[in-house]
Amino acid sequence: MGAAAPEGAGGGPVISATGVVRRFGGVPVLDGVDLEVRRGELLGIVGPGGGGKTVLLKVLAGLLRPDGGEVVIDGASLAGLETDGRARLWERFGFLFQNYALFDFMTVGENVAFPLEQRRPRAPEDEIRARVATRLSEVDLPGTEALFPNELSGGMKKRVAMARATIADAEFLFYDDPTAGLDPVTSSKIFGLIARLHLPRGVSVVVSHDVDRMRAICRRFVMIDRGRVRFDGDLDAVHASDDEMVRTFFDESGLAL
Amino acid sequence: MTGAFTALGAMVLGVLELLGGLAILAARIGRAVLAFQLDRRETVRAFYNVGVKSWAIVALTAMFTGAIMVIQAGQFVSKAQATSFVGWAAGFAVLAEIGPVLIGLMFSGRVGANNTAELGTMVVTEQVDALRALAIDPLVYLVVPRFLAMVCMLFLLTALGDVFALLGGGITSHILIDVPFRVFIAQVVEARLLDEYLLGLAKGSVFGASIAVVSCYYGLGVSGGAVGVGRAVNNAVVVAAIGIFFTDLMVGLAWSQLWGS
Repeated sequence: MGAAAPEGAGGGPVISATGVVRRFGGVPVLDGVDLEVRRGELLGIVGPGGGGKTVLLKVLAGLLRPDGGEVVIDGASLAGLETDGRARLWERFGFLFQNYALFDFMTVGENVAFPLEQRRPRAPEDEIRARVATRLSEVDLPGTEALFPNELSGGMKKRVAMARATIADAEFLFYDDPTAGLDPVTSSKIFGLIARLHLPRGVSVVVSHDVDRMRAICRRFVMIDRGRVRFDGDLDAVHASDDEMVRTFFDESGLAL
Repeated sequence: MTGAFTALGAMVLGVLELLGGLAILAARIGRAVLAFQLDRRETVRAFYNVGVKSWAIVALTAMFTGAIMVIQAGQFVSKAQATSFVGWAAGFAVLAEIGPVLIGLMFSGRVGANNTAELGTMVVTEQVDALRALAIDPLVYLVVPRFLAMVCMLFLLTALGDVFALLGGGITSHILIDVPFRVFIAQVVEARLLDEYLLGLAKGSVFGASIAVVSCYYGLGVSGGAVGVGRAVNNAVVVAAIGIFFTDLMVGLAWSQLWGS
């Protein structure tokens, strides 16, 4: 696989969700989720499609407000943060969106450089250009700086989005289906990159259906099913689980084999 | 009967929600503008997209407007053998009223609808969420530059449109009612329509603000994918048109109270 699982988390909870409820049109997509992520942890979130994984990731990142419950990040309740406080928190975040979310009026180079350009103090232009070129090479897209997103395939867009999400060496990294639409070799490289960019003092949360490759980088898994936490633990706990659906899901995904 | 009351109540609540939402957005924009919170690169881009790309359609609209005014006024002044008034009549109507309103409507259809579609697409493709995740306030990055561009550019486009409207009126009067072009222009100048000209420019800026707030409100409020974007554009164009006529009335009343004789 090429990627080694990072050392386990040693710190206390840095992200804490308690009784999180989120509804869309009155229908609960998250229905009382309790979850803690510890400092230094690289957490894998898995589960059947439509179970609420993406919504949970956005709630944890403060991009969606929960209708009930509370999310606390690094000691600060998201609900209690004003716009400025929320923005300061987001400066420590990197987020890879499921649908890429590339700015279509910017080139690939401008998209990837964007997080660095927004930082104060701003890095020198040469340094930004060099970091963009390096990161694009790492996602197998060297020399694509001048292209626009509409000139890229879905897989290329995903890799550009990956480069943009990670270029600022964020402390909190959220990946929503980082390898959807990618070939197996590139998928393995992307998971390797996720493991390599994970900071020991930071937190990485990966939502993916590519559960087989997650084994290489995640030690703890949370399974979300119909808006609730169905399973929370490591691979040994999967084997020991009484829940047949959990064992079946992980077995059929190849994760616990 | 109960159903009718329910529908009426829902409609009233919908209108109040819309007005409240527009007022809150306008207040947030105003606060950001006063604090000079904007992204310079996006502002330059917005000015280019809004102004430079719109001048041709505005000039064309204005020329036709001036021509139509002369055709309408021409019938009466010819019958009354008062062709010396055609410049005044066409100039008065074009500069103070018809010009800004028609240019505003054209601007709303081109720039406002485009703005709603662009912002709406950014919402459904998570680009707005991506800005937030990068600690960038979408209001500062996306809305304020567009607001400033629309206010300033509709002011300038109205000024430009006035020139083309008078040009269209002068050419039409020369061809249709035998009032030479230079005589038509001399009549406009002698009519001393500075007040009407300034009133028209003021209306242009207010229409720009109105179109900007409405188009951004609907764009950022999109939900439901491509269908939602289409619905938002439709609503934005309708509400912006209503806003143009309403603010036309308000600015006209305020102007007459402040400077009317």
